[in-house]
Amino acid sequence: MFKFFSSIRKEFILLVSDKVGLALMFLMPLLLVFIITIIQDSAYKIVNENEIPMLVVNHDEGNQGNKLLDLLITSRLFKIDTLNSLPEKALKKELLARGKMIALFIPPNFTSGLESNTGEVSHMMMRDFGLETDSAIVKTRDMPALSFYHDPVLQENYSASVMGVIDSYVGVIEKSMMIDRIYADMDMEPKSEKLNEKMAVNRVKINQIIATNGNSVAVPNSTQHNVPAWTIFAMFFMVVSLGSNIVKERVNGSFLRLKTMPTSFMLVMFSKMAIYVVVAISQVALTFSVGIWILPKIGLPELTIPTNFPAFAAVVLISSMAAVSYALLIGALAHTQEQANGFGAISIIIFGAIGGILVPTFVMPEFMQFASNFSPLHWCLEGFYILFLKGGSWHELRWVILFLGVFILICQLCTYIKLRIEKII
Amino acid sequence: MHKGPSIHIENVTKRYKSAQEDSLSHVTLKINESDVYGLLGPNGAGKTTLISILCGIIPPSQGNISFYIGGVEISGIERRSRLGFVPQEYAFYQELTPRQNLDYFGAMYNLSKGVLSERIGELLDELGLTKVADKVVSTFSGGMKRRVNLAIGLIHKPAVLFLDEPTVGVDVQSKNAIIKYLREINRAGTTIVYTSHHMSEAEEFCNRIALIDHGKVVAEGGMTDLLAENNVSGLQDLFIKLTGEEYRD
Repeated sequence: MFKFFSSIRKEFILLVSDKVGLALMFLMPLLLVFIITIIQDSAYKIVNENEIPMLVVNHDEGNQGNKLLDLLITSRLFKIDTLNSLPEKALKKELLARGKMIALFIPPNFTSGLESNTGEVSHMMMRDFGLETDSAIVKTRDMPALSFYHDPVLQENYSASVMGVIDSYVGVIEKSMMIDRIYADMDMEPKSEKLNEKMAVNRVKINQIIATNGNSVAVPNSTQHNVPAWTIFAMFFMVVSLGSNIVKERVNGSFLRLKTMPTSFMLVMFSKMAIYVVVAISQVALTFSVGIWILPKIGLPELTIPTNFPAFAAVVLISSMAAVSYALLIGALAHTQEQANGFGAISIIIFGAIGGILVPTFVMPEFMQFASNFSPLHWCLEGFYILFLKGGSWHELRWVILFLGVFILICQLCTYIKLRIEKII
Repeated sequence: MHKGPSIHIENVTKRYKSAQEDSLSHVTLKINESDVYGLLGPNGAGKTTLISILCGIIPPSQGNISFYIGGVEISGIERRSRLGFVPQEYAFYQELTPRQNLDYFGAMYNLSKGVLSERIGELLDELGLTKVADKVVSTFSGGMKRRVNLAIGLIHKPAVLFLDEPTVGVDVQSKNAIIKYLREINRAGTTIVYTSHHMSEAEEFCNRIALIDHGKVVAEGGMTDLLAENNVSGLQDLFIKLTGEEYRD
């Protein structure tokens, strides 16, 4: 036991003496979590929050422009700023200056154009029905066009969905105008208030249900993505500290010296693993605490911890073991500390990029999504996603545990073989 | 008092996997208890390979090595507990203090906390490291690091001590302190097997030597006998006579 304690103590002293390694392992994830969460938060808010900020410039000479505006306001999907005095030419500049992502321009002929076209349709219908109307001469005008401006960074599918919403409200107006016109052409009283109300509510509803297992429903936001993602990134970045630590001991002869002593080399490796698993767990504790207590204080979303705590602990542990095993492998393969640091760091950045740390895998092309399966960081992140966003069960975690288990085994086996080849074990 | 061979090296050959030639070829030596035995030779002669085999770091391709303490053969864990190894490199942790290094390596030799604490105090004192016992080794001079390296090999009071170039790159003061201490422990019964390129130091320090060249023993015996047999005045002349004047890289 004294031997084990001494070995652990040695590893701890080596760890705390590596100031750069400690900074990379503890300060880097905190900085990344703060910076990236703040940057991404506005984008997540745009996607997830109910009110999308929109600038509306209404130059309509009739009343249908205002009706459209009312419909957009009452939908509660948009937070609308109106600036009717603004000429259309200045709209682009104003949009960017006000920091709005989208703007809608309603042209002066919006009402007159709609009236002209609904009149024409109504006239054709009357003729088809065999009814004569007073409005025999209908002057057709071009269908009015709304202009939708958006920030160039806005994703295409997002713009399309907002345009779809506007289009559906224009459709409501057109339908209402059409019926009004038919009533008028048939010399009937304007349609009743009851019919107006019925038309307003008579729309198919779509119920939105988030597909999670269990009762935990955490809405995806910048915190829920960034805190686990950058924690995993930092866990694997221990390759810089642990990898170079191993190279140093291999190169300076300490490992060979230990081989001449009545001790098991496994004790040495086990001590290293134990210390660095504790480091990884501490990284999780630190960054997750920041996510729970600090981020909400600066206006960012709070991190929601999963309810299945044993599964959460298992994902943390297996992710830590994967990070430690990878660092051991790099330490065993590299010939110099520079190699371990350079290759180790670059490989983690690449694994992080293809693994969905920088951008989620679902936005990647298909072949990159396939490639992400080969990144251990992807599986670690997947484990956290299953727990955080889907309220995951052990059953759902089985592939994560299987892949990471195999990854750990391969890394440990390759490390063992390399150290055997070097006659260290 | 010699009680027979302490180390019996019999027909040891070593060829590394990718090598075309043997690094050691049919080496047979007997090292007696309490000898200060010098393994000498030019660069690439096979000295470090032989020490690595004796310490159990690498296995021989063929041949046998037997260790005896007080006439009784030892092997396995017991053998490793009774041998000390001081490599040419600073094979310790420069981020740790001498006390922390000795504490760690002492624990690896299964020394108890009490024994270890006492032994650390003795060694630090004997090798002039007490004042810097709690300073990190990375700030030390080459001579101080050599003494730390030596102290680690001696922490468990080994019966046989292997030293690979223990005084390379150190100042005269540190070299004298190291040799003086090694003489003391040899007088106390520790067998020393030593490699060096310092011929004058080896001539003064060793009572027996083996001169190795191209993996083969070209001369072996007591220092005075070998000098007389070869009709040379010193070890350096013997070395040149037997190994030639060509560069060895």
